[in-house]
Amino acid sequence: MERIPILKMGSFLLVTVQVDMHDQLAMNLQSDLTDKIVSAKARGVLIDISALDIVDSFIGRMLGNIASMSRILDAETVVVGMQPAVAITLVELGLALTGVRTALNIEKGMDLLRASIG
Amino acid sequence: MSFAVISVRIQYEHDVVAARQRTRQIAQALGFEPQQQTRLATAVSEIARNTLVYGGGGKVEFLVEGTTSPQLLSIVVSDKGPGIPNLDEILEGRYCSTTGMGLGIVGAQRLMDRFSIDTAAGKGTTVYLGKLLPRRAPLVSAKGVSEMTERLAREKPKDLLAEFREQNQELVRTLDELRRRQDELISLNRELEDTNRGVVALYAELDEKADHLRRADEVKSRFLSNMSHEFRTPLNSICALSRVLQEHTDGPLAPEQEVQVSYIRQSAESLTELVNDLLDLAKVEAGKIVLHPVDFEVNKLFGALRGMLRPLLAGVSVNLVFEEPRSLPLMYTDEGKVSQILRNFISNALKFTEAGEVRVSAQYDDADASVVFRVQDTGIGIAAEYQEIIFQEFTQVDGPIQRKVKGTGLGLPLSKKLAELLGGSVSVESKVGIGSTFSVRVPKVYSLAGHVGLVEPPIQVEPSRLPVLLVEDHDETRLIYQKFLGSSRWQMIGARSVRETENILRNVRPVAIVLDIMLQGEDSWNLLAKLKSNRETSSIPVLVATTADDRGKAMALGADAYAAKPLTAAVLLEQLAAWTGVDLTRTVLLVDDQEVSRYLFKQLFSQRGIRFLEAVHGAEGLRVARQEKPDLIIMDLTMPEMNGFEAIGGLQADTALRHIPVIVATSRTLSAEETSQLAGRVAAVLPKASLSEHGVKRRLRAILTQAGLADLLPDPKTASQTAAE
Repeated sequence: MERIPILKMGSFLLVTVQVDMHDQLAMNLQSDLTDKIVSAKARGVLIDISALDIVDSFIGRMLGNIASMSRILDAETVVVGMQPAVAITLVELGLALTGVRTALNIEKGMDLLRASIG
Repeated sequence: MSFAVISVRIQYEHDVVAARQRTRQIAQALGFEPQQQTRLATAVSEIARNTLVYGGGGKVEFLVEGTTSPQLLSIVVSDKGPGIPNLDEILEGRYCSTTGMGLGIVGAQRLMDRFSIDTAAGKGTTVYLGKLLPRRAPLVSAKGVSEMTERLAREKPKDLLAEFREQNQELVRTLDELRRRQDELISLNRELEDTNRGVVALYAELDEKADHLRRADEVKSRFLSNMSHEFRTPLNSICALSRVLQEHTDGPLAPEQEVQVSYIRQSAESLTELVNDLLDLAKVEAGKIVLHPVDFEVNKLFGALRGMLRPLLAGVSVNLVFEEPRSLPLMYTDEGKVSQILRNFISNALKFTEAGEVRVSAQYDDADASVVFRVQDTGIGIAAEYQEIIFQEFTQVDGPIQRKVKGTGLGLPLSKKLAELLGGSVSVESKVGIGSTFSVRVPKVYSLAGHVGLVEPPIQVEPSRLPVLLVEDHDETRLIYQKFLGSSRWQMIGARSVRETENILRNVRPVAIVLDIMLQGEDSWNLLAKLKSNRETSSIPVLVATTADDRGKAMALGADAYAAKPLTAAVLLEQLAAWTGVDLTRTVLLVDDQEVSRYLFKQLFSQRGIRFLEAVHGAEGLRVARQEKPDLIIMDLTMPEMNGFEAIGGLQADTALRHIPVIVATSRTLSAEETSQLAGRVAAVLPKASLSEHGVKRRLRAILTQAGLADLLPDPKTASQTAAE
């Protein structure tokens, strides 16, 4: 079974999406990540989508869901590395990704997470 | 004007990913900027997902329309699903999706230059998406499109899932097929088992019948031989008494009485003959007749027959002619039996021939190395239907002449049995009124195993052994030599004749030659001379072993050693050892916890050149055997630590030790189970009680000869007879 690997870095989880995900893979990532947040007692989730050329409404919704769920599980989610073309397309598509915090790159994402956790 | 680029089938989730990746590739190829590529791919992704989720699958087609700049990239996504019931609501953004973001169609519309939907309930949905190519992009021609299509086809993303699915289905089909075949096999098997059970039952029945027959046959033979013996005693008395009467020992007889007594005597004599024939037949059937094969010449046999049969010719107007045999080889078989068969044939021929001649001839048949004897008469002949049964016991053909002459009806069956015993056969050709020809075919050389005429397998010289060429025409003697050499370093290669010897020498160079001088119909003096004068063979040592007492001649012709037959194991082995420098020292391992027993055995082999190893229990015995690889192991059964049975099992399990002959020496009385446990694993079982008996050496010698270790305990009697140079 295909999986997107989830790495643990201290109290953060790092997910680097390297492949163009089909819908089921995106759903798997969503459930894996929530499980992992609980089992690893993670306080923050960093999702790197710099390798993604396309983020359509389904993946966008999945990112939003992850952010909402992890917040309920007491973890912050930061999506980093979104390509400009993707950002533009998302906005044009009408997807605002409200509730999803973003950062330009992993470094900044980390800073953001550390700051928010305190 | 439009050019079709490619189309992508939407069937699984993976296909949605494939469709958007294709879109990106095409957009890139057509010269769209990255931002536009993302837009196009995202729109296609949305619509393709709808096609999969709501339409149950469909396809995405890519076309390039127009021939002037700007051209239009047109993407048609179609399905055969139930259609979109609330398209207006969706397009106005009022619709709230329960599954997606409710953004697919509206969002895609925003991302494209052209967007339209055809949908009808039950007929499916077709979405047209269009995007103008950038102004700076070069014009795309039909050729360009086809090139692009080709390139895209080559880069076709691998749909792993579909491939898996296909392979899976293939697998399922194969499994089904396999299961079907297995079922077939099982039923076939069951059928076979049933048949088999039937066959086994039939076999058992047949076995039982065969056993019955065998027993009945045995009883018959025993009855015949016993009865014949019982008959002979009173018959002999009658003959003797009538002779006494005829000799007038107790006073003269009246003339009439004289005649009566002579009849009594004649009757008794013919009855004796009948009993003798019966006895012979019974002996043959019981396998008790011993053959004494000797070398003889056929013309000498004919001479003897002529003399023997002369009395039968008295008062008969029949000529008995023996044809002078020409170019017949010397025969080696039982002369007496051949003579008996021919006597039978000739006396029969004389009985049934009233006038004319009986002609006896012999001829050599090269094809199967046999001599065919023929007895031809000009008698009454035998009708075809009787030609088979005359060889059966107690049959006589009914007819006026047959009734006139007396006979037991046993002569021909006996001849047949004797001929078979010699490895030959009898046959008859006959025409009524013209005459009969009885033939007997006897192999030139009688052989124990009856394998004369068979093609010998090609000689294989074992690489670890030294070939010794043994020229000896007598099968039994060769067998004895083979036993002598047994498992020694020397491998015996046998030759029966000079020609065979020469053939073998062409392929094999033996380390020594043991040469018999008197061979069938030839002698090997010339061979010896030739061997010794030929530069290639002159260095091979030759041991002349013969009954011909001519040591001087042998040595003069170049023989390296001379020994009178019979050759003993010691002489042969020591001579070979001297020539080939092989160490003859034998090693015997004694495994016994009792020192006395070991001592007794050592005493038995009171001979130089034997090294004794001793072990006090099985485990030690095994260890010593592994180290020393003895030539013989003598094993007690009852020992501490590890008993003899276990030790023998251990020897059997070791491939390096398995071939070593084991003699079990025990004071136990073995149970049937123990005996069968040892059977085939040991050379012999020797009760310890017999060690003190007189004949133990002879018995041990027989065992050792059987095991190919005759030299361990040579026979002192024969050893003194022979000598080697």
